[in-house]
Amino acid sequence: MGTGVPGGSGLSPESTGIDGRIVATGLTKLFGEIKAVDGLSFSVEPGSVTGFLGPNGAGKTTTLRMILGLATPTSGTGTISGVTYAHLTDPGRTVGAVLEATSFHPGRTARNHLRVFCAAAGLPDKRADEVLEWVGLTQAARYPVRGFSLGMRQRLGLATALLGNPRVLLLDEPANGLDPEGIAWLRGLLRHFADVDGRTVLISSHVLSEVEQTVDRVVIIARGRLIYEGRLADLEGASAGVVVRTPTPDSLSTALVPLHAKVTPRADGSLAIVGATPEAVGRIAWEAHVELHELRAGSSSLEETFLRLTAEPSAPTEPPQ
Amino acid sequence: MIHLLRAEWRKVTTTKLWWGMLLGAMALAALGVIAQIASNGVRGNVTPPLSSAATQRSIAASASSAYLFSVVVGIILITTEFRHFTSRPTFLIEPRRGLVIVAKLIVAALVGIIYGVACAALTAAIMAPWLGAMGITVHWVENGVLLSMLGDLVVIAIFAVVGIGVGVLVRNQIAAVIGALVYLFVLEPLIDIIPVVQNVYPYLPGAAAGAITGASRGNLARLDPLLGGLLLLGWGLLFAAFGWLLTIRRDIP
Repeated sequence: MGTGVPGGSGLSPESTGIDGRIVATGLTKLFGEIKAVDGLSFSVEPGSVTGFLGPNGAGKTTTLRMILGLATPTSGTGTISGVTYAHLTDPGRTVGAVLEATSFHPGRTARNHLRVFCAAAGLPDKRADEVLEWVGLTQAARYPVRGFSLGMRQRLGLATALLGNPRVLLLDEPANGLDPEGIAWLRGLLRHFADVDGRTVLISSHVLSEVEQTVDRVVIIARGRLIYEGRLADLEGASAGVVVRTPTPDSLSTALVPLHAKVTPRADGSLAIVGATPEAVGRIAWEAHVELHELRAGSSSLEETFLRLTAEPSAPTEPPQ
Repeated sequence: MIHLLRAEWRKVTTTKLWWGMLLGAMALAALGVIAQIASNGVRGNVTPPLSSAATQRSIAASASSAYLFSVVVGIILITTEFRHFTSRPTFLIEPRRGLVIVAKLIVAALVGIIYGVACAALTAAIMAPWLGAMGITVHWVENGVLLSMLGDLVVIAIFAVVGIGVGVLVRNQIAAVIGALVYLFVLEPLIDIIPVVQNVYPYLPGAAAGAITGASRGNLARLDPLLGGLLLLGWGLLFAAFGWLLTIRRDIP
């Protein structure tokens, strides 16, 4: 097993003959009357880092819990390599997951925490020391987790996920509590996993900017529903958006329906359009004989796009049918 | 399964809970034994003399009160998983939840047996020299003292298993511990004195524990020890099955 640089030869996943794809199909979870997750379908590919994004309460953790077999979907399925979590052979060595950095007994030392799960997964105890070194916690190994900072807990959570040298990694808010140095370290580690090892990496976050330099693809959800799935670069292309001013915004909204772009009225009476180019909007307005007073590319950042995509819907945002 | 047993055993031994509670259990057992010996013969105490078989059995049986600690240990062993979310890595590594619960039940029983042996040994260690110094011989086998101590062990071990079932049912640690203690020390004795329902009392877990060791409490005639033992085992299995079923069906927090 390699030491030092995370992602040394010892970190390469064993070829277990599984593809490592994560697929959600119509995942739905009801808590009483509340639809926490609502018909969610998406896929996560091996060899890439995928960001699972959405505001707090969007249903990210519930979705991950369903994929990981901790929660039973009301309907729909979540699979890893084509099977549900419960049907994976040796899940401890196939999938590594962290659901919030809180899964520790405060009185147990970091090393003992890992040794408990070494035993459960049938791994040798020295594995605990290896992963502690990889995440930089060797010095803290013999101290109870009680005294750990949030960043240290994140590292220990990651260490737990890495115990079985898994092909598939699901990390819930892994950057939370890490200092900038820690975030850079995490970025390097995850990129290595995806680019060099070809592992599947899914990381959730409620802040796009936190992960935008790490991820290739994004799955964005809000209120339990899929908002956007695809390459981050494509979202960036669409994110600039279009700002248009017209005396007849309703007619323009109607004309824009075939574009499947998101149309939002702005405070000054103009419309913001995400998911379309100024050229496309101009042509549609011309074809529909809608008078335009202004047409320009928007200047919103990726983060603004994210916020707009996931914002609570208010009555006038939907184009009239 | 051997992996799970090792993991669950490590969970017990890597925190301070198990030996802190063991000290508590031993202290409670010792208290009962000491109180019975010291109060014997005091004016107003109608208990037969220390040389009698009944009293010797009763002294040995008082150690069974340590089941209070073993039921709490059982509850904490399982609820601590939900409280600190160690249930997540546990069920991620072994998604066959039934196996995890079986491993936990076995380890809880093992912890209970250790508590039981420690309490029974402590009882003997107090009884033998103390009564010996008073010139009284303890007839371990003939007077059924040893059997009473075996009863202590069984009661203490089974209650640790019951604790796992209670903890699965009521995942909130504090609510589960308080609920169990209120049931055992308030509700069950109340049932014993309320005429309409007192007929069921001998079949309840606490009364079954009393039947095993021969510790007398309450109004109605107790079951005989063997029947009490089977009954308590039944309660233990019922709670275990309940815990197993609930864990399989419910979402893991």
